[in-house]
Amino acid sequence: MPKRGTQPLHGEVLQGTLDLLILQTLILGPAHGHTIAHVIERRSEDVLQVEHGSLYPALHRLEDRGWIASFWGTSENNRKARYYRLTPLGRKQLARQTGRWDQLVHAINQVLGRARKPATE
Amino acid sequence: MSWSRFFRRKQWDTERAQELSAYLETETADNIQRGMSPEEAKRVAHLKLGNVARIREEIYKMNSLGFLETTLQDIRYALRGFRRAPAFALTVILAIALGIGATTGVFSVVDRILFRSLPYRHADQLVTFGYVAPIEPNEFLTSPDFAEWGNAHGAFSSTASFNFVRDCDITQAPAARLQCAHVEWTFLPTFGIQPLLGRNFTREEDSPAGSAGPSGPDWAGGGKVALLSYGLWKSRFGADQHIVGKTISLDDQQTTIIGVLPRDFELPTLGEADMLVPEAFPATAFVHSINRPTAILRAFARLAPGVTIAQAKAALQPAFPESLKWVPPGFRNEVSLSVRTLRDRQIEDARLASWVLFGAVLAVLLIACANVANLLLARSTARQREFAIRAALGAAPARLLLQTLTESVALALAGGALGCGFAYALIKIFVAISPHGIVHLSDATLDLRVLAFTLLVSVISGLAFGFASAQRHASNDALYGRASFGFSRAFFRRALVSAQIAISFVLLVGAGLLIRSLDNLERVPLGMDTSGVITATIALNPRLYTDMSRRQHFFDAIEQRLRQLPGVSAFALTDSAPLLPGGSAASIYANIEVSGRPRTPQGTGGMVGYSTVTPEFFSALGIPIVNGHAFTEADRSPNANVAILNAVLAKRLFPNGDAVGKQVRFGPDGAWCTIVGVAGGVKYVQNNGFISTAESEYYLPLHHSQSFVDSEQKIILRTSLGPAAVASWMRSTVGSLDPTVPVTVDSMSERMSQLEARPRFNAALLGIFAALGILLAALGTYGVLAFLVVQRTREIGVRMALGAHPYHVQKMILAQGAMLALAGLVFGVAGAFALTRLMKSLLFGVTPADPAIFVGVAVFLLLVALAACYLPARRAMRVDPLVALRYE
Repeated sequence: MPKRGTQPLHGEVLQGTLDLLILQTLILGPAHGHTIAHVIERRSEDVLQVEHGSLYPALHRLEDRGWIASFWGTSENNRKARYYRLTPLGRKQLARQTGRWDQLVHAINQVLGRARKPATE
Repeated sequence: MSWSRFFRRKQWDTERAQELSAYLETETADNIQRGMSPEEAKRVAHLKLGNVARIREEIYKMNSLGFLETTLQDIRYALRGFRRAPAFALTVILAIALGIGATTGVFSVVDRILFRSLPYRHADQLVTFGYVAPIEPNEFLTSPDFAEWGNAHGAFSSTASFNFVRDCDITQAPAARLQCAHVEWTFLPTFGIQPLLGRNFTREEDSPAGSAGPSGPDWAGGGKVALLSYGLWKSRFGADQHIVGKTISLDDQQTTIIGVLPRDFELPTLGEADMLVPEAFPATAFVHSINRPTAILRAFARLAPGVTIAQAKAALQPAFPESLKWVPPGFRNEVSLSVRTLRDRQIEDARLASWVLFGAVLAVLLIACANVANLLLARSTARQREFAIRAALGAAPARLLLQTLTESVALALAGGALGCGFAYALIKIFVAISPHGIVHLSDATLDLRVLAFTLLVSVISGLAFGFASAQRHASNDALYGRASFGFSRAFFRRALVSAQIAISFVLLVGAGLLIRSLDNLERVPLGMDTSGVITATIALNPRLYTDMSRRQHFFDAIEQRLRQLPGVSAFALTDSAPLLPGGSAASIYANIEVSGRPRTPQGTGGMVGYSTVTPEFFSALGIPIVNGHAFTEADRSPNANVAILNAVLAKRLFPNGDAVGKQVRFGPDGAWCTIVGVAGGVKYVQNNGFISTAESEYYLPLHHSQSFVDSEQKIILRTSLGPAAVASWMRSTVGSLDPTVPVTVDSMSERMSQLEARPRFNAALLGIFAALGILLAALGTYGVLAFLVVQRTREIGVRMALGAHPYHVQKMILAQGAMLALAGLVFGVAGAFALTRLMKSLLFGVTPADPAIFVGVAVFLLLVALAACYLPARRAMRVDPLVALRYE
């Protein structure tokens, strides 16, 4: 759950990051929106404070680009749910973006000085 | 974003909604497991997901085509706005419809003349070349020159000669008189024309061996093969698909039909032809000789790729002096070399009139656009608050501009659609009142090309007045209900009104000049009296009446019978007469010899026309005999050699005025004639409807026996009877002699008004456009002043509260209107001065800067502007100070 007072990240960075996180999540296997949201929340250790809702436009966008595909299935507790899986194109994209992301992180670290720890509250 | 998604976006939205509610259910269930109460679980789940509507909207937007979506939205919004203010929308649409309709109508006419390519392949490469002379402004050439000049050292990729359109007869039942165009075998390939059926004729078929050879002194050959025009193929041969190879009897020769011309075939001379036949010149026709007359041709060519007109002319120049040696000495100084594009030759005199009309109609469109811009500006001022609110709510300036433009283009398109209807009606009117002389006018239609033009003009004018009226700064003041009027906007609106008045001024001056010309034309004394004169043209078939004495007998018999007709005060027979088609025979001035005076040939002196007439010719047409006397019956005896000169020729030959009694002859081998009288000069009406000064002319008596009798004679009657009565009498009389002879009856005054059709057409059209323009300009002036009065209501109230007299208030507003009009007039005078000079050749008896017309139009426009200001001024006068101070 997003904590009050945290400034949500805006714009390109958030979008790019979110895309990357979704693709990363789906590498483990197909999942529906609820699962993806919780996995991302856990993984990002609350750094990326996003409303789960913003996940859906991102899913739509990725599907639109052909990086993920969707199908209707049944969830663990027997509910109808929309599942997403990684396409081969998405897999390639993930590899490329991870590379770019690493470069970016590296560059930022250099600028800020290595000593800085990730910002927490 | 794919189109399929765009159309399926509703369904997508439903699916997303399902997906989101699935999330909520799962999350709520999880929360309940974590030990929350069901309400709390649901609330927290909603909180975690965020705003469902916003998410759906975001996805929906991703599925839409941004631009299209907003445009559709804008259009819907605009339509709603128009529905709220139907009077406004209707006014705007009507104004645009008038402007665009008139523009479309005129475009459809001038397009054929000015812009559309001729119906030939790469028509811009086609040229006409040869000599031009004062007596023949269109290029002509002798056949040896044509052969010698060849392809002008490669400047022409191909050439083709054209030996005119001549009468020809189908001499098998049913017999018919047709028009045959005599062309070289290279004619169709040069113009890039493919026959619809069959083939073109070959070089062999275009030689005397392949054809019957020349049948007359002017090589009016005609071979054994012919191509049919589409019209003749349809009408006479029922569009027979197997016509190729069949034979017909053409001028008593078995002729094989070898092809059919395409439907859009058109002679480069714009003449009518039913058939194309080979010229079939003998080889001797292409060799210069002093003993033998050579054929006169029209020559056309296709320029080689990359060659310009100037280069082609330069390439012909070396051959020109050599050819000139064969030109009769008198002519040499007057002949010059000319190479012109085919289009220039075809539209020569229609071009200027077309540009004037097109310019006038564009001016009307401009006035209409200015008017609409003004109306939209007034409306956008009223909507300032709405725009300010939208800007405050986050609408980007670009988005607001787009909205404004969408509205104006929607208005313009609606106006354009309505304008098409208007244009359709206008074209019908054009064709109905059109003179025959305007090329292609009857072909004018609303085709795809014209509609595309209309669409383009609509969009451009929509954008133009949209930009002009766009809300530039949505000021925050507007939010508080205070209308703010920037100085620049008020200035802009006034400038628009002044511009309208300026353009109207130019239009009115143009129309005034043309109407004045028309009036002048009608006032010019022609030197004859056309009222109550009826003419009949009787044409014998020269192939059936080959014998001159048979012709003579026929016309003698006609004269005998028609003379008896009651109600006829004068009767004359002549081979030519003023105003009638066909022109007259002519000799060269330099060949006229006065007895006892040496000939001094200096140039040709131009052509001198002559008519062979019976004695009552002069009284029938009301031509005065200013000296001596008219012909008598005695002058018609074969050995009476007499002549009558007209005043112009008499003055030229006998400057001392002693012509009567002198002897002249009209050619080196002619007989000496005694001059018995001098007749008044008759002015001629030119093709463009203008009246030229009287030319040199002379008259010879129609003898009772002549070596040559023209197969076509004209009868002139001065009578109190109507043309219909005369026509039936004439037809029965002629029919009793030979029922196959065609008779054409005309009344001279009708003929006169036909000839004036072109100037009348121009004047009428420009008059209509000027009236439209001034109406729109008056509306514009009224609109702006009314708006200014409303805007200054508070100020006027203060003035009146402080003691200003209502009369002064009225004067103040009128003065403001007058200032606008005067500013417009200053620019209008300058514009008119610059532009009317260009239409000089359309004017008759009036100079382009006619002061009376300039002053008259200025006063008229000023009065119209003041009248347009009157209502707003009166309203200002009646402002109640109390109400005004509370205004806003």
